Amino acid sequence: MIVCVAVVGHQNNPVYIQSFTEADDALKLHHIVHCSLDVVDERVNNPKKSGPTLNETFLGLLYPTENYKVYGYLTNTKVKFILVTTDLDVRDADVRNFFRRFHSAYVDAVSNPFHVPGKKITSRTFAERVSNIVKSFGLSSAG
Amino acid sequence: MDPVNSPLGRMLLDEITPVVMVLRTNLVEESCQKNGLSLIEMLSPFCAFNNIDVPVRTASDQPYRIQKFKLRLFYASDIQQPNVEVAKERLKQAITHAGEKDYSDLCSDPPQIETVLASTQSELVPSWFPFFNKELVHTVSFSDHEALDHPVACLLVVSSKDNEPINKFVDLFNTDQLPSLLNDGAMDPKILKYYLLLHDSQDGTSEKATKYLTEMRNTFGSNDCGLLCINSSQDGLFEHQENPWALYKTESSPSQRLGCFLNIDDMDELQNSMQDLSSKHIIPHMEQKIRVLNQQVSATRKGLRNQIKNLWWRKGKEDMPESFNGLMYTFSSIESQIRVLADYAFMLRDYELAVSNYRLLSTDYKLDKAWKRYAGVQEMMGLTYFMLDQSRKEAEYCMENAFNTYLKIGLAGQRNATRCGLWWAEMLKTRDQFKEAATVYFRISGEEPPLHSAVMLEQGSYCYLFAKTPMLRKYGFHLVLSGDLYKKCDQIKHAIRTYRGALTVFKETKWSHIRDHVHFHIGKWYAILGLFDVAINHIMEVLACSHQSKKTQELFLRDFFQVVQKTGKTFEVLGLQLPVIDTPSLKVVFEDHRTYASPEAVSVKESLWRSLEEDMIPALSTIKSNWLDLQPKLLPKKHKESNVCVAGEAVKIEIGFKNPLQIPISISGASLICEHSTRSDKIEADATSLTNENGNNDRFRNIASSGECSSDASSFIVSEVDISLGGGETLLVQLSVTPKLEGTLKIVGVRWKLSGSVAGFYNFNSDLVKKKVAKRRSKMKQSMTDNLEFMVIKALPKVEGFIRHLPKTVYAGDLRSLDLVLKNPSAISVKNMKMKISHPRFLIIGNQEVMDREFPACLEKKTNSDAQAKTNYASDTVFQFPEDALIHGETPFVWPLWIRAATHGNISMDITVYYEMGDTSTVMNYRTLRIHYNLEVLPSLDVSFQISPCSLRLGEFLVRMDVVNRTSSKNFQIHQLSSVGNEWEISLLQPIDAIFPSELLLAGQALSCFFKLKNSRKSVLIDDENSSTAPLEGSDVSLSHRSHDLLFDICRSPLVDFHHSERVHQGMENQEKSNTVDFILISRQQRSEGDSEEHNSLNILSHHACACSIASTSPVWWLVEGPRTIHHNFSASICEIKLRMTIRNSSKDPASIRIDPSDSTSIGNTTSVSSGNEAGWYDISLLNDVKVTSDVLGTRSGKSLSRECVSLFIWSGMSSNRIKLEPMSTTEIPLQICVFSPGTYDLSNYFLHWKILPSNEHVNQGDGTRQSSGTCQGHPYFLTVLQSS
Repeated sequence: MIVCVAVVGHQNNPVYIQSFTEADDALKLHHIVHCSLDVVDERVNNPKKSGPTLNETFLGLLYPTENYKVYGYLTNTKVKFILVTTDLDVRDADVRNFFRRFHSAYVDAVSNPFHVPGKKITSRTFAERVSNIVKSFGLSSAG
Repeated sequence: MDPVNSPLGRMLLDEITPVVMVLRTNLVEESCQKNGLSLIEMLSPFCAFNNIDVPVRTASDQPYRIQKFKLRLFYASDIQQPNVEVAKERLKQAITHAGEKDYSDLCSDPPQIETVLASTQSELVPSWFPFFNKELVHTVSFSDHEALDHPVACLLVVSSKDNEPINKFVDLFNTDQLPSLLNDGAMDPKILKYYLLLHDSQDGTSEKATKYLTEMRNTFGSNDCGLLCINSSQDGLFEHQENPWALYKTESSPSQRLGCFLNIDDMDELQNSMQDLSSKHIIPHMEQKIRVLNQQVSATRKGLRNQIKNLWWRKGKEDMPESFNGLMYTFSSIESQIRVLADYAFMLRDYELAVSNYRLLSTDYKLDKAWKRYAGVQEMMGLTYFMLDQSRKEAEYCMENAFNTYLKIGLAGQRNATRCGLWWAEMLKTRDQFKEAATVYFRISGEEPPLHSAVMLEQGSYCYLFAKTPMLRKYGFHLVLSGDLYKKCDQIKHAIRTYRGALTVFKETKWSHIRDHVHFHIGKWYAILGLFDVAINHIMEVLACSHQSKKTQELFLRDFFQVVQKTGKTFEVLGLQLPVIDTPSLKVVFEDHRTYASPEAVSVKESLWRSLEEDMIPALSTIKSNWLDLQPKLLPKKHKESNVCVAGEAVKIEIGFKNPLQIPISISGASLICEHSTRSDKIEADATSLTNENGNNDRFRNIASSGECSSDASSFIVSEVDISLGGGETLLVQLSVTPKLEGTLKIVGVRWKLSGSVAGFYNFNSDLVKKKVAKRRSKMKQSMTDNLEFMVIKALPKVEGFIRHLPKTVYAGDLRSLDLVLKNPSAISVKNMKMKISHPRFLIIGNQEVMDREFPACLEKKTNSDAQAKTNYASDTVFQFPEDALIHGETPFVWPLWIRAATHGNISMDITVYYEMGDTSTVMNYRTLRIHYNLEVLPSLDVSFQISPCSLRLGEFLVRMDVVNRTSSKNFQIHQLSSVGNEWEISLLQPIDAIFPSELLLAGQALSCFFKLKNSRKSVLIDDENSSTAPLEGSDVSLSHRSHDLLFDICRSPLVDFHHSERVHQGMENQEKSNTVDFILISRQQRSEGDSEEHNSLNILSHHACACSIASTSPVWWLVEGPRTIHHNFSASICEIKLRMTIRNSSKDPASIRIDPSDSTSIGNTTSVSSGNEAGWYDISLLNDVKVTSDVLGTRSGKSLSRECVSLFIWSGMSSNRIKLEPMSTTEIPLQICVFSPGTYDLSNYFLHWKILPSNEHVNQGDGTRQSSGTCQGHPYFLTVLQSS
């Protein structure tokens, strides 16, 4: 299950963060997402040598905590997407697919002329779309 | 880095050293205690050798020398696994103790992130970590699964005072008292023993001791005995330059001087004996043992044969139950011996030997599934690799393997796992792998009790900070985690320390959730410690957290108040964020020479007022009309630019208070903070304001707090406002300050109390750079400070004014009489009053005589109308009140005003009253009063007029009036229609009862009625000059059913004035009058039942329609007259019909006119569409039935008719006629047609061309606007010719 998704701006400012848990663990998830930015930075600063990863947006597993797996995705504009999941067995393809859809939802949201770049996304449509994507996570290929 | 010099290396050299078991008698201890030391404490400083320089030869033949060496001394009773609880307690104390030490700098601000990044490890990392780690490692000493802590030797100490020392020595090594390690077979009980006789010099000479020594030598062997003399200093006052014991004695009381009886000789002796023990006994013993064991191991385990044998043998043992693991390996088993061999080799720094044996051993243990021992060996292997500084991978692998294995075996291995982890982390840190080290710390923390875990997490967090690329977020996160754990264990000081560290990371972050959490908790913890100032500062950071949930906001606020309450006083906060002061909304309203009647007047644009007052206010130059004027009258030059306010008159500040929270907050006592100085100390104030920002703030604080107590006695009064703000609400609050004395008043800031307990201040000055003030005097580029500074001048009269009975809402056309009331409460009178009104269309100034008359009777036409009331068209200019209008005191001055709601919509009316001071000695000699009203005007009646020439008579017109009631509920009674001007006469076509049976025009109802309009102008020329200035006359038609109702006189003020403004407004003033008519429709609003109109009588509404153009645009009118029906016998002859055309030139110039009968065939094609003539008409289906008559010029019907009349007629008698017509004259032209057959003919197929011949004096005038020539098609004229019988 996805417990949290987040969009982080290019200055590492939170643009959108949404948890999908019942429990009151917003702070923890904030911390996890925030910490994972360190890993994103590290990945960006020390890119792997191999060729195909040159323009790769998908950063893969950022870091496994005790209960969570954190995946990252970095757009060309240095906007980061973070996914926190409790599933311990996650297929890479699913995550890639998720990020691709998440990215396009984000692009649509920031294309709104009333959206101020760098500010938090407050669009309800975006939230709905994201929660749909989250709900359908893993279903497309698994089922 | 050389591993030996690394922290881990030093730690290992310190910790993994031979253990010496110490056995002593009580008397020995007594002698030592004289120095405040135990035996071990006394010996310890002399057991660590930095330069022992002993040659060592282990398994290989090559000897090497070791320099650094250390012995660890333990009492036999201590040689056992420490009690876990006791150890925990000790660790906790160590932590608490450390917390107390760091307490001092807790209150300071957290350091900047840059400084944190720049600082080195030793600066930042608390110094007690290594100590704590060591203590933690010690909790797993003396384990039986490793030989590291197994005593290498036993030191038996007996005092020379003891009876029979020899026997004592024997007794001491009594197995009953020996540690379990020796007894249960984990280690060889045959241990190297060294017998030491301690002689206390205070007890006498050493003779007896020497005697005993010889005795001992005989009994135990000459080498293994020694004599130690202490306490040679008799007086106990020996001072040690560098006290060697200070390091070893943890809790030294300052009164106790350590080693006070030990003089230099004693110290030398101590050192010598310990060095002797190490170099002559322990090291050789270990060498010896290594060699022996190595031989054994080589014999049994080395070589292919042995290995195979070993494998075979191990396989056989596989079935053995695991539970025997612990006891499986006694000291005599080959595994234990290998372990001892390896450990001894490690201690003697023969790491090659050690590692080969550890490796050998690890496979054995692995095969045996003796996991704890396996892990222990792996751990040592890792450390040995590290010390060898080779195969790093291997070393790490070993450590990880050991760590995991320890964890695997569960509780038994947990503490060992911690030790292993600590070493592992240290190892990684030495190799700059900080990130990995941090992970290891994190893993350790998972296995430890909360307090230890907190320390581990904190250590881990520093690793993130010191990583090659600092991972600040993780640093912060782990500090927060650690802080939470510290808090859980009641280590608040540590918790604060960690959170402070985290704050450096999170202070500037946009991750408000995290930041708020840190600020809030650190604040709460400071409060627990009683540091309320810091606590409040932190909690305040989170108070204005609009992004948090309502619940959180409540929590924050509640805790904040709790903390504030604990301080026991009203806390003063500069820049309290609750509520947020909305500085851009700041608006200053003050009255200098401009005064305002109402707050609404203030909001009207200054430029509007300025334009209104332009004509009234004397220009600056006129003030000082001559140089003899008294100087003090003028404002001092310096103050020219500053704002002026009058003593006793309030300066109002409007400022927005915004509640950023979702929960309501209550604000009490919001007031302005002001500074007042009399003129003399102004300079001083200037000087202080030059000080820097900080000084400014301090000063502000002073003013802010002092203002509270001294406000009653001071020279100004501030208003206090209590408000309560709902969630997210912004309230515009008006605060005022009233200066009482002359001088300078400066508004510095605003002060308020939140929930009655926290005082907030806001300094307007603090961010003046950014702010733009919505100022009255916007032109001046002044800083805000200047804008908030006022020069207070002596009290002046201030006129107040309002309009009495002004309704809020009226219907369009409503005409009322109102009173302007002016009051001057001060004793000084004012004079030379003038007034100007912005909208003369709506509001005009009445005459005083109207005051006494009844409304609307005053408007009614008097039969004996005495002369014409003077009109004042000049109402858009300044109105000068009569000279004698001096007002003062309580008696109000009343002046009549007329209001007429000209059009519907929202109307704002501005009135300025100018007055001069009666007393000329004042600084300000005039003031203006600005009155502003808003009026909502609702639509009432729509009136339109359509005029068309009467086809029967020249100079007569048919007027159609359409009235629609646009209201939804009001009924109107049409009272009167008047045409304006003396050249028109209007009369009803039918009696009013016939066309308008109901008296009322109901809501939504439409009405059309017709009037006859006759041009009554005599053909005689009226001189133009007169006509325009002559008082308007007019003709009126009463539309009222009641004949006794008097008509209103439209020629009297105010109707005539309003009509004038209406004309001006509609832009018709200069139009030629001859072609247009003005109408005034007067109606009365019917009062519906239950309508509690406050007003006395029926409301009168007047509707003005100006310049209704008569239908024809041409100045030439004509009329064809003749018979309509003719009986003629066509068989006899063609019919000739005579017609007469009357032509009138209504223009002021002579005209040339040509009548051009067109060819009859073109009838069908004459399609001159004159739809333009229908302007002013709008289709109301109701009116369709009356349309026929209106279509006088109707070419449409004409066309259809013309198609019918196929038979032809011929204009005879003329082909084209050209005549010249003098202005305002009439001529007649005879016309004739010939008709050939009976039928109906439309005689409109002629054209009338006209051309104005401009007379000389009018050449330049009105050419652009007026048509000078044109062509008209003939009017339809139907003629029926019948065959007569």
